[in-house]
Amino acid sequence: MKIKSLLIANRGEIAVRINETAKKMGIKTYGIKTSKEPNALYLRLVDDVIVFAESMDEIPEFLDIERIIDAARVHKVNAIHPGYGFLAENPYFARRCEEENIIFIGPSASAIYKMGNKTIAKQIAQKYKIPLLQGSQGSVKNVMEAADIASKIGYPVILKAAAGGGGRGMRIVEKASSLEKMFRLATSEAEKAFDDSSVFIEKYVRNPRHIEFQIIGDRFGNYIHLGERECSIQRKHQKLIEESPSIALDEKLRKEMGAAATLIAKAVNYYSAGTVEFLLDADRHFFFMEMNTRIQVEHPVTEMVSGVDLIELQIKIAEGQELTLKQQDIKLTGWAIECRVNAEDVQAGFSPNQGIIEKISYPRGKNIRVDSGVTDYSVITPYFDSMVAKLIVHAETRDKAISATSAALRKFWIRGIKTTIPFCQAVMNHKKFKKGDFNTSFIEKEMGKLFFNDAEDEMLAAYVAAFDFAAELETNRTTKPDFERGKNISPWVLNKRLKSL
Amino acid sequence: MKLIGKKKVDENEYIAVTPNDSKYVIRNPFSIDLKINGHKKDIKIFENEEGFTFIEFRNKKYLAEITDKTQNKYTVLLNGVSYSFTIESPISYRRRKYLQKYKQANKIEMITAPMPGKIMELLVEESSSVKEGESILILEAMKMQNEIISQVSGKVKKINVKPGDTVTKDDVLMEIER
Repeated sequence: MKIKSLLIANRGEIAVRINETAKKMGIKTYGIKTSKEPNALYLRLVDDVIVFAESMDEIPEFLDIERIIDAARVHKVNAIHPGYGFLAENPYFARRCEEENIIFIGPSASAIYKMGNKTIAKQIAQKYKIPLLQGSQGSVKNVMEAADIASKIGYPVILKAAAGGGGRGMRIVEKASSLEKMFRLATSEAEKAFDDSSVFIEKYVRNPRHIEFQIIGDRFGNYIHLGERECSIQRKHQKLIEESPSIALDEKLRKEMGAAATLIAKAVNYYSAGTVEFLLDADRHFFFMEMNTRIQVEHPVTEMVSGVDLIELQIKIAEGQELTLKQQDIKLTGWAIECRVNAEDVQAGFSPNQGIIEKISYPRGKNIRVDSGVTDYSVITPYFDSMVAKLIVHAETRDKAISATSAALRKFWIRGIKTTIPFCQAVMNHKKFKKGDFNTSFIEKEMGKLFFNDAEDEMLAAYVAAFDFAAELETNRTTKPDFERGKNISPWVLNKRLKSL
Repeated sequence: MKLIGKKKVDENEYIAVTPNDSKYVIRNPFSIDLKINGHKKDIKIFENEEGFTFIEFRNKKYLAEITDKTQNKYTVLLNGVSYSFTIESPISYRRRKYLQKYKQANKIEMITAPMPGKIMELLVEESSSVKEGESILILEAMKMQNEIISQVSGKVKKINVKPGDTVTKDDVLMEIER
């Protein structure tokens, strides 16, 4: 069935991203306006806005299944795109859409359920002889059982929320004595985040690389993969920089892992876009981790190297179209790097930096793509995650992509909030990152300083402060008190005032 | 030039002091005779048509923003990195040095919230003793549970929060007596 109208059940940059492709395909788009972010950028771009004025109950707007379904029904919307996060991997939501004859842009409820439950996912992988890490068969009931398994497979072990994702409800246990505390933390975090406190335990691979494969399937049993993404630059299991391809893979390994990824997809009759995540150890053995049954934050790097619009494919497959691309049609060219620009203060342990973006300006260029959810005067609220934009740079080689990313970061200007730009710059300038010699412990072990600056930067900043102070002294002598305490006046304006005295 | 005591004082001299007490002596900030720590520097400040302020130095452009300012205390963001300074005149700098000598070492350590969030669990009680590096409470922020660790060894003097409280950044959570 042709999709004529689409409700985007998400916000931020992904809502903007989905809207763009949908409009290009001639689909009427609907966005959800919440009281938490009434002036968000995506609301200005969609064709029609559905207002969720007051939070009717405790459930946050983008998690409120019945309210979203109801809105879709009232506006006679054909399809819902869940984006990532929120309801994207909620099998019940997908089922409710099916029941209401609304097309859910994603896989079937059963595929989401099977892959979302890590215990079932691992059983499936085992059945198809995909390499797995040793661990519990299913979730562990209590600390005693966890301790039992941990001593069998040996420390370190990792505790993971069975319903988890995005690093939440995940704890590494180095030794038996800290197991009890970690078990308590993991279960309570899992309970909080996913409403399901069950955790499982598995062998923890030290310093692995995080490699994931983008796969696409349709309802006719066609499956392809679009190569890998390297997402090893992470902090507390949150990805910060991604690239495609990975320097750790050669053609042979890529084929092997790609085949394993498509096999997993086939096993659950997967359709739509999906991601199969693997760990790659130092000896280049790979292990199946999990499958993400949604579009990923880092999908643009794959789009840059493959030239494929993943959202477009998702929509077409949801309409019931057959995948026309064959594996041999997929040619991956060059190298793409994505930097996540989060509203976080790197100098204060990546703590969220709320506030108002007074002004934002993006680098421009043929091979530069910026996926942004904000604009001038956008408010960074505490209600949602801290990502404001993504910078994606494409070049012929990895070296060129790194230097182009570094140059682009210098032209990514934001006033009003602190972001992770200085962090991304530090990674681009790191010797080991440039060499491709890194793994998931890179930030923790290899980066002494988490932000980039030159030796003379502090001096220049001191000059800015002294200049402003001196300028203010001058104006104080001649003008009325400055009730804004100079905060909103740029040194440039003060300078001009001085000259006009 | 004025004479104060026996030393010459330059009215066009400003001293930017960093939190760890290193200093930049900036002379003639408005003139081409700008000198920093005695060396001549060619630094320009300008604003582009979009309203961003930049510093130009050795053909490199730096995005600059004053993010906080209270009297003579400044926080400057340069290429996204924060720097804090106290700006002193030569006279106030001398007074500062003098006062520092008599300042008592602070015995109470304030444990502040590193990020906004919700208090999940207290791991210590009032008047219990803590060791440096020990977890003292769990703060949930952005759905992550973070252990807050004591930076000092000592005795818990006061706890200002209880489980379930919502805190903002820099709220004092606990006071620990060294």
